[in-house]
Amino acid sequence: MIVWVMPDSGAKTKEDYATLLALFKKENPSIDVNIRVFTRNVLWRRMFTIKHPTHEEEVPDVIQIPHYWTALLVKEGVAENLSQLDPGLSLADALLPLREHCYQPGTKDIYSYPWWFDVSALHYRADHLKLVTQHPEEDLRTWQGFLSICKALQETFHDVPGYFPVQNSDWRGSLSMRNALPCVWSAGVSLLSADKTTTQVGTKPFKEALLNYINLASKGYMPILRERGSLGTMMSGKASMMISRKQGISTFSARRGMRVHTVPLPAIGKKSVSYLSGMNLFINTLSQHKKDALKFIKFCTRPDIQTRYAKMIEVFPAFEEPFERLVSSAPRLELYREIVSSARTLPNMVITGTIMEILKHVLAICAAQLVSGTFTPASLNKELDSTAQEISYLLSIYEG
Amino acid sequence: MFDKKSYILYKFHKELNQSFQNKRELLEHALPAMRDLFKLDRVYFFDWQQERAMLSLKMMCKKEYCMDMQEDISVRNEPAFLQEMLKNGVAKTMDLGYPALYLLIKWKRPSLELRAGEVHSFMQEKVGVLRLERFRKHRVFTEQEIDLIKALGQEISHNLHNTEIDQAKNQRLNVSTALNDLATIFASSLRLNDGLELILKGVQKYFRFDRVHLYLTNAEGTKIKSVLGVDISGQVTQRDGKTLNKEEEQQLLKDVFEEAVSYRSGRSVIYIPLKVQRNKVGFLTFDNILSRRRIGYLDFISLQQFASQMALAIDNARLFERVQELSNYDELTKLPVRRYFNEKFAEEIYRSKRFDLSLSLIIIDIDWFKQINDGYGHQIGDWALKAISQVVRTSLRQTDVPCRFGGDEMMLMLPRTNGEEAKLIAHRLKESIHAITLPTRCTGGEEVHLSVSQGISSFPMDGDSVETLLERADQALYVVKQNGRGDYALYRDVADKVPHIPIAKKK
Repeated sequence: MIVWVMPDSGAKTKEDYATLLALFKKENPSIDVNIRVFTRNVLWRRMFTIKHPTHEEEVPDVIQIPHYWTALLVKEGVAENLSQLDPGLSLADALLPLREHCYQPGTKDIYSYPWWFDVSALHYRADHLKLVTQHPEEDLRTWQGFLSICKALQETFHDVPGYFPVQNSDWRGSLSMRNALPCVWSAGVSLLSADKTTTQVGTKPFKEALLNYINLASKGYMPILRERGSLGTMMSGKASMMISRKQGISTFSARRGMRVHTVPLPAIGKKSVSYLSGMNLFINTLSQHKKDALKFIKFCTRPDIQTRYAKMIEVFPAFEEPFERLVSSAPRLELYREIVSSARTLPNMVITGTIMEILKHVLAICAAQLVSGTFTPASLNKELDSTAQEISYLLSIYEG
Repeated sequence: MFDKKSYILYKFHKELNQSFQNKRELLEHALPAMRDLFKLDRVYFFDWQQERAMLSLKMMCKKEYCMDMQEDISVRNEPAFLQEMLKNGVAKTMDLGYPALYLLIKWKRPSLELRAGEVHSFMQEKVGVLRLERFRKHRVFTEQEIDLIKALGQEISHNLHNTEIDQAKNQRLNVSTALNDLATIFASSLRLNDGLELILKGVQKYFRFDRVHLYLTNAEGTKIKSVLGVDISGQVTQRDGKTLNKEEEQQLLKDVFEEAVSYRSGRSVIYIPLKVQRNKVGFLTFDNILSRRRIGYLDFISLQQFASQMALAIDNARLFERVQELSNYDELTKLPVRRYFNEKFAEEIYRSKRFDLSLSLIIIDIDWFKQINDGYGHQIGDWALKAISQVVRTSLRQTDVPCRFGGDEMMLMLPRTNGEEAKLIAHRLKESIHAITLPTRCTGGEEVHLSVSQGISSFPMDGDSVETLLERADQALYVVKQNGRGDYALYRDVADKVPHIPIAKKK
């Protein structure tokens, strides 16, 4: 059986999967599982080619996907109807925000199964922030307060070469939609209107909200397109804060006695909103080992295994009971209950993945412009206007 | 005897001396080999984007395995490093806090990417960068090692070149085979539409486009007649050209035929016109709007070649359909001929029996047609036939089938119509035809009105076979003629007046 996954734990991914597979093998000695690790970009492209594999291409049995790809894969006909494969399969115990992303939109047929999720928060070095504020948690509640802290930190550490107040948590070292979306949502706007028939990307509030995030880089508070690990990391003392998922912060815990505190993301509007991203598993309709594939999915999503894997890669299990158990196990995790309750997810629509690809491209353009010193709010507006047109076109083709 | 350098080179060469399917597979062999030979902790492979001064991470190799990775590193603000790497092909650095070495790898490969508005050169230079790291023991790279690493870099370049050429050849071969298969399928399809559906589905499958559309136009390329498409779920849709937004239609036609737009990179759409000599047949669009995947140059040129075959095939099929159409229609009256009518009538009787539907038949006979021909000439006779058939054609529903049955006889098949409804139609025809007068210049100023006699029979009341229904309608017509012409009758209304003699004798 072949399983396609994403690098969940960066360079450690293969080791973590080896541990998981050893557990699976112990219970299912007759099932061989081969793991293939692909970046999200590669996996995205392959989602459009697995339906018609060439002679040379292997056919995966189970595939890990971001939750919001489910509708697309159902539309393409590449995801197996899991409810048909196992009528007893239920999502009753899955965390509420993750449930609707497993169904074919408009039905209760399960096509992908939730495995784990992560949610963004603001992490900061207590020792650094102590130098600029007595009440970090209070100051970091608003975006304005966050920017003031950034400014104060920049002045305090001005003599540290390569210092930035905020570490860039993006894997590519670029601007990321994952971190930009909470700014947008917190400002009261979204990618699409409430009835999902029009886009808000071209509106003034959306542009302003996105600019807030980009300004972190343009004001020199956050590095972009630099060597990750060499510049601006909290661990090396060249950064003091980071907007990231729980996973992103794991590297720094218990190192050099560094105390990292976590708070909800600063709110631009009335309240703080985080980005909740789930990882689901689905079975390829072309799989020749559907029973084994289902066994593997059920194994991975079993409460004990979910908790174990989530701890291993520093994320959260997707089901309520293991999630509760995990957040109750450590006081520093208790806060995540609040963060999750105010978090938002991307909609499970055919075009969501495409919208994210387009916006990722827009941010890549902005990043390149920032590095070459040509970025202006007007250039961002222009990009977002044409993006809005493109999204409207996509809506007319695929969601009309 | 080999010296150490030659031995390492030989070992490395041996490791890579095999056929690789693609760059990824080659790197999965080359990077671990380098790691082992030089006791490296990690090896990275980047694509070098010259215009953006950007290193784009593609693959990382550590311990026992390699993994795809993604990261963009701008070196625009690091001129010293950049200059050293581009000038010497190699750059040592301690920026990361441990020894690392960057090595430039250059190779030529077939140009794969299709770019809008560019003249395509077949081969292009590609540049990659290897980053070799020693972070565990911090052992620096010696000059001898760097020399050797450079030599191995050349070996990798050479292999990348060969692998990508082979890959392009295989791709081309696969595409040619696929298109050949599709052309054969198309040629063997009996109906144009079936063939086109197969082609579109096949192209989508082999080239893995999100959507494929075929727009059929008129010969001038000014109007879209129909659109056939296959979407991401593999479903086929067909639309009438009339349903298209006029503005979009005109823009599309202008883009394809006037401005010869072939590629919109932002949306990943290609347009390929279908032409036979000067005649426009239509155009094809292939898009990856949803997936945003780029469309390859090889795919583009293969599809262009295929499109010319397809245009010819569509044009031939259309001509064939036109010829068939002509042979099924009477040239003078533009009504279907008897053979076509008989086929349709038999089909409709079968359908009516199976689904328990009514069906009626009207035989129309032009009154005094022989006298018109003899008295005013055959030209006027033809004029009368044309005028009456025009009325017949324009008074019927889409589902009704008229035909010219013989000299002055016409036939109407009215599906889902009972006898009483057929009488209403006959009455309407009677009135409309009576309104026609022969041209006065030919009648010496006399006003001559046309009239017809009509006999009606209907299924199932008057008969349940083609023959019986024809016979009964003809018998009803006979009665009308006997009673002074210019009227209509339903068989069962006049059955008692029908003399029991064979039809041939009656005539």
